[in-house]
Amino acid sequence: MEELVVAVSGINAVDNPGPGLGVIRSLKEDQELNVKALGLAYDAMEPGIYLDWLVDKSYIMPYPSSDEEDYLARLGYIKESSGLEVVVPTLDAELPLFIKGEARLRQTGIKTFLPTWEQFELRSKQRLLELAPRLGLSIPPTEQVTSYQELLSALDRVGFPAMVKGLFYKAYRVHTYAEAEHAFQKIVEEWGYPVLVQKVVQGEEVNVVGVGDGEGGSLGHMAIKKLWITSLGKIWTGVTVKNELLLEATYKFLEQIGWRGAFELECITDGERIYLIEINPRFPAWIYFATGAGINLPARLVRAAIGANVERHSDYQAGKLYIRYTYDLVTDMTTFQKVVTKGES
Amino acid sequence: MERLSRLAISEEGFIFDPVTGNSFTTNKVGLWILTRLKEGKSPSQILAEMTEHFEVDQETAERDLTDFLEQLKNYKLI
Repeated sequence: MEELVVAVSGINAVDNPGPGLGVIRSLKEDQELNVKALGLAYDAMEPGIYLDWLVDKSYIMPYPSSDEEDYLARLGYIKESSGLEVVVPTLDAELPLFIKGEARLRQTGIKTFLPTWEQFELRSKQRLLELAPRLGLSIPPTEQVTSYQELLSALDRVGFPAMVKGLFYKAYRVHTYAEAEHAFQKIVEEWGYPVLVQKVVQGEEVNVVGVGDGEGGSLGHMAIKKLWITSLGKIWTGVTVKNELLLEATYKFLEQIGWRGAFELECITDGERIYLIEINPRFPAWIYFATGAGINLPARLVRAAIGANVERHSDYQAGKLYIRYTYDLVTDMTTFQKVVTKGES
Repeated sequence: MERLSRLAISEEGFIFDPVTGNSFTTNKVGLWILTRLKEGKSPSQILAEMTEHFEVDQETAERDLTDFLEQLKNYKLI
């Protein structure tokens, strides 16, 4: 295949890493795709900019929350200067812009493979309450509150510890009324009403990562259990599992929703039931785990975006171990200087 | 039995449950008992074989077997 220029965001491999480098590493492993990887960064200090064996060139982007036109114009510039063909956005804050702008991007020759706006809205915790039973999954007892009084009453029923959550973003684990009030105020200030109060389910964290074909089928998926997480709640070691209930729920999710693009189902299991906690409409930061276990989901997504042949199997072994590690890089100021002054490496 | 049969057990006594992702280790005696449980043998059959195989008295064998079965129950493996 001729060189394919793919831009990937989330190249911030920090203590709360973005998925970008795992995506790029996966794309580079599909040698037939022959990917030239562009990194989309929001800060000159994002580590991916300096990892030249993965990221061929990087661009500083305007914040997606600032001005949609600026953002799309920047992508237009990258297309002109580097021949950009496909974008894989990996950060939550970028997705609304890319989903809404998909048609415009397509017109300019930039392809994506994303969920529809309606599918994107499914990540709302409110919608999860309706969806989970349809997938054969449970939801922890949850109440929706719109005032401080309602918050207190809900906490009385749910008990401590509890999760206080925004509809789309933010979740705080609280142990006292004071902590709950603080969390409630922070969420209301940032995201508005309603706020959800959810019982904390004790159990183990199991997740599924995959890509939906947009027509009810799977372009591959894999289930894992997190074995060790950091103080920020991020995976450090994990293992592949074959939990039939979870995999069946994944098929139902794809079939009933017709999900298109990358997804991650975040669940907790107490050994008997599986609770659906979140649906993320993007790859997780540990996405290279799937590639290492034999299912190169980023490459399949890009292949689907350009209409190339895509493998669809989900064959993997249970018991594959994932270990994240840190690494040190020493370089001179040249790249940093270029990024700071020109906005690109 | 369904749970036991799905376990991957190595000769060194490393046990992996592919459904839950949990792993355990056991000693030679535990491994010996697990292998027989997987073969479908009952605790009384295993006990009878145990005294002979490990050359221990009935009381010791019964105590060790009960302890081990209790641990397997705690880990929801049986």
